[in-house]
Amino acid sequence: MTLVELRGVSKSFRKGDETITPLDHVDLSIARGEFVSLMGPSGTGKSTLLNLVSGIDRPDDGTIIVGGTEVTALSRSKLADWRAANLGYIFQTHNLIPVLTAYENVELPTLLLKLTSAQRRQRVELALEAVGLSDRADHYPRQLSGGQEQRVGIARAIVAHPQVVVADEPTGSLDAETSEQVQTLLQRLNKELEITLLMVTHDSDVAAIATRQLVLDHGKFLQRDAVVAAG
Amino acid sequence: MTTYVLKTLWRHRTRTLLTVTGAAVAMFVFCFVGSVQEGLHRLTTGADADRSLIVFQESRFCPTSSRLPEDYARKIKAVPGVREVMPIQVWTNNCRASLDIIVFNGADPDQIRRTRPIKLTSGDWQTFSSRRDAAIVGRNVARRRGLKQGDQFSIGEISVKVTGIFESTVPAEENLIYTSLAFLQYTRGLDAAGLVTQHEVLLTEDADPDRVAAEIDAELRSGSVATRTRRKGAFQANTLSDLVDLIGLAHWLGYACVALVLSLVATTTVMSVQDRIKEYAVLQTIGVRPMRALRLVLAESTLLCVLGGSGGTLLALAVLGTGGFAIGAEGATISFQPSLGLAVTGVLVSLVVGVAAGIAPAVQAASVSIVTALRQA
Repeated sequence: MTLVELRGVSKSFRKGDETITPLDHVDLSIARGEFVSLMGPSGTGKSTLLNLVSGIDRPDDGTIIVGGTEVTALSRSKLADWRAANLGYIFQTHNLIPVLTAYENVELPTLLLKLTSAQRRQRVELALEAVGLSDRADHYPRQLSGGQEQRVGIARAIVAHPQVVVADEPTGSLDAETSEQVQTLLQRLNKELEITLLMVTHDSDVAAIATRQLVLDHGKFLQRDAVVAAG
Repeated sequence: MTTYVLKTLWRHRTRTLLTVTGAAVAMFVFCFVGSVQEGLHRLTTGADADRSLIVFQESRFCPTSSRLPEDYARKIKAVPGVREVMPIQVWTNNCRASLDIIVFNGADPDQIRRTRPIKLTSGDWQTFSSRRDAAIVGRNVARRRGLKQGDQFSIGEISVKVTGIFESTVPAEENLIYTSLAFLQYTRGLDAAGLVTQHEVLLTEDADPDRVAAEIDAELRSGSVATRTRRKGAFQANTLSDLVDLIGLAHWLGYACVALVLSLVATTTVMSVQDRIKEYAVLQTIGVRPMRALRLVLAESTLLCVLGGSGGTLLALAVLGTGGFAIGAEGATISFQPSLGLAVTGVLVSLVVGVAAGIAPAVQAASVSIVTALRQA
């Protein structure tokens, strides 16, 4: 069953006198429960695509439907509501709020939902448990290691039980060992909690943990298998 | 989200403290200026400002230069519309503008008790009436000079025994010291036996003040000294005319203080938002609505301003309440008193300025391009 669907999506940028078109009438379908990785050279529009699916950017052309909602038709406020309820975003640099503890950072998205305080507490505790950081709940970001910060970021992305989680280079700023821990965590989230994941990465080893690997090249998708075969 | 706002302010403690202190100082000055204006307003428009008249010697200003016969009271009493006449001998230590003016009003103790809006907080009327050098002291003067019942108070040629402290519903009254009329008339240097500085005239309910004033002056024109009779409010405004101009100018200082708070809080909030623009982008990415981001910034600026403004207002009220400040000239005084109106104005101004100061940065935070802000290092 298709959860994310992009139809004829285009996006262009002006850079000086030049117009760059990283996405040119792109079509993509992601099934519920799928774990899709997206690779490609720098500047090919991977992050742009992620931002469009997340509704934090708008395409010049085409439609994006996530879980039956045409996100490209929503106003900025409606998009915010939609993201709060349906989307989790894992940043490359985790982007935790420095003045809030790990617990409070994870709690933030739940404050935007209609939940009782007990439900909220339960969700936050479960999310922290899922990323193995229950014992770091009262720590501030500055008191956590890079890997722990990223895991808090992941807990924040899944705490609202979103339909889809997008991850922009989630291991990009981590060392090899921590990167492996995060990869294992993402796989577990996909397999055990059946979270649909769309991940952008530069690293082919990281991309390999996904159930489907896509490569974006000159504004079009290639299946990674096809790229490997052509190479 | 309240936690986020509070913790954000706490994160930059020094900046927050400086802004709050700046707002407090500015609102302190604003309230101080406001209290002077309130004092002037009360003095010139109070309940007895229009229902009493002051009969003064024509073309004279300082109390020491007005010398009216005491028995003018009898003639004035005969004018229709006059309910009561109180001859008053005034003595002041300074005819020029001063922040520590001492004004003695000598009058009949029974009349003082009957007609003045005062209530003794210590001492008793009996002692005041029976002792020649007795004086009852207004609360403000007592605070300023540290006087209490039983003290001997001397200034210039005058030395009185403080037999009571009084409070009044008319703040300017609390800057006066009352003695008996005879005591002041016979004070060395005044040589005022049979003479008074002014007559205070209380009117009947249906009397027209201006008509009665004109009739009094007409009646006394044939006397030994010509008079000029005015409503008490107009008399005091005229007496304090130089100060009135200065106070009128000072209200611009109050506005300048408000502008200062606005500028200070706006600058702090703009800096804070620009420093954390990526945070606002993150908040919006996880689902915070633009309007909510706007409210978060407004809450921040309003909190800064209300904290500082309320602090400054409270401090000003406390200082005004305990300092017994007054400014006076030519025997009339303006009392600086704390008031509920001043407190409410101070807090409301802080609230409005806090919101106004936050509008520009709040719009910036709410309308931020999420993608662009997230790319910031």
